[in-house]
Amino acid sequence: MSEPVLELDDVRVVFKRGRGHTVTAMDGISFRIAAGETLGLVGESGSGKTTTGAVALGLRRPTSGTVRFLGAAQGRRRPRGARAGAVQAVLQNPHWSLNPRLAVADSVAEPLAAVEAGRLRTHHPAALRILDQVGLPASFAQRLPHELSGGQRQRVAIARALITRPSFIVFDEAVSALDVSVQAHILNLIHDLQTEHRFAALFISHDLAAVRYLAHRVAVMRTGQIVELADAHRFYTAPRHPYSRQLLETL
Amino acid sequence: MKATAVRVRRALAMRSGDGLLRGAVWVLLALVLATLVGQLTGAGGRPDAIVGPRLQPPGSGWLLGTDNLGRSLLPRLLQGIGTTLLLSTLAVACTAVISTALGVVAGYRGGRTAELILRIGDVLYSFPAIVLAVLVAAVLGPGRTTALAAIVLVTVPLMTRMVGVAARAVARREFVTAARISGVSAPTIMLRHILPNVAGTVAVQGTYALSVGILVEGGLSFLGYGVQLPDASLGLLIQEGGLYMVGAPWLIVAPGVVLVAAIMAINLVGDSLRDRFEPRETRSLV
Repeated sequence: MSEPVLELDDVRVVFKRGRGHTVTAMDGISFRIAAGETLGLVGESGSGKTTTGAVALGLRRPTSGTVRFLGAAQGRRRPRGARAGAVQAVLQNPHWSLNPRLAVADSVAEPLAAVEAGRLRTHHPAALRILDQVGLPASFAQRLPHELSGGQRQRVAIARALITRPSFIVFDEAVSALDVSVQAHILNLIHDLQTEHRFAALFISHDLAAVRYLAHRVAVMRTGQIVELADAHRFYTAPRHPYSRQLLETL
Repeated sequence: MKATAVRVRRALAMRSGDGLLRGAVWVLLALVLATLVGQLTGAGGRPDAIVGPRLQPPGSGWLLGTDNLGRSLLPRLLQGIGTTLLLSTLAVACTAVISTALGVVAGYRGGRTAELILRIGDVLYSFPAIVLAVLVAAVLGPGRTTALAAIVLVTVPLMTRMVGVAARAVARREFVTAARISGVSAPTIMLRHILPNVAGTVAVQGTYALSVGILVEGGLSFLGYGVQLPDASLGLLIQEGGLYMVGAPWLIVAPGVVLVAAIMAINLVGDSLRDRFEPRETRSLV
């Protein structure tokens, strides 16, 4: 197997809640994701999925443990600056995934402008190319988010994540708010794009069906711990942990 | 810029049939125009000229009646509208700039920065407006500068808080998180993502501040700390008119009606501004 893009080693995250009261959102989490691979992360709400995503993105510093990105440990200071453009995210709510006042082309061009400097407009050609790849014609470029459907917005969000050719993308409940037929389109799109661009992906979802479609491996989280981490095929045919079986029964 | 122009045009086309807003805009335009014409051409006579007997009801030489010195009310009213509108608008422009800057920073940064900004605002807010205004007068001495500074000081805390709350809500949105992940710098995020999305709040709070500003100016002029005689302002005229309310009600009715009309029109315009410049998403916050 190739060099992992992202590697979490015994990561713990503890939140302080009031006097002496703490919540352990991540309790000894370890996993690695290789280039071109998707790790599905499932579990009920409150299980620590989103915290794991935030740590993987460098938005949150772990209480203990190490996060290595492309072999380099996450820096103590300014962990985000160094990884700008190499890490992207497609987030949950299609309603708020785009700035309602920014035209589609501007939203998509922004990450590239952040990495390579320059005005948003100078990156419009690149934005149009990537919009085309996610199945949106050039006529969408000047539209505002409220003129798009939920599925189209998530396509734009994906285009924005892809434009810097990142080596790692986090999908946090990226399709959960869409209706089923649109979900299938978006999942197909993510699959095709991954085949083409070879990014590593962390696909966070409570929807086991969606995860099954994309993930090469699946990790099940419960109360801050990974209770099972297995090959997708093996996981869906013969789950080992009782909690995994319980989750799969609801499918 | 082209996209912005298209957006503005689209926004204007969206509710061109709004009669209430049109009425409000016309009222404000009429007030501004009347003031300009009155000041520039001297229509209606000089404000300080004595044109007839004292306390006369509206008549041919004095369209709105005369005051206790025999001066015609009309030119004084025009002068008063001009003073009041100019002072309040100028003050609210200052407030808008200060509050928007502080509110956006507080909303985006959160934590201690927000605490510091909002607590200072709370301290100011805990004083009754008029006490603050008198404090300003004690430092600066009575006059227009005092009225201006007082309006700013009275309106800044609330507006900062409102903009801060709106900015906080925007800063939690996914597109801001996505921008942070992409490595977009904090100043760019504030200017590109936060500021345009709190513009509606700034507009609505700005109009609210404008009506508060007009009232503060009136209160200060009443206490003698604001606009000084022989100048006129709406507050000053209402105060003068109040003394002769029983015998010469026109002295308080005319400036009073103008004041109410101006405040109502300003608030209506503010409401429409919010509807127009907030795409429907943001309205669900309210």
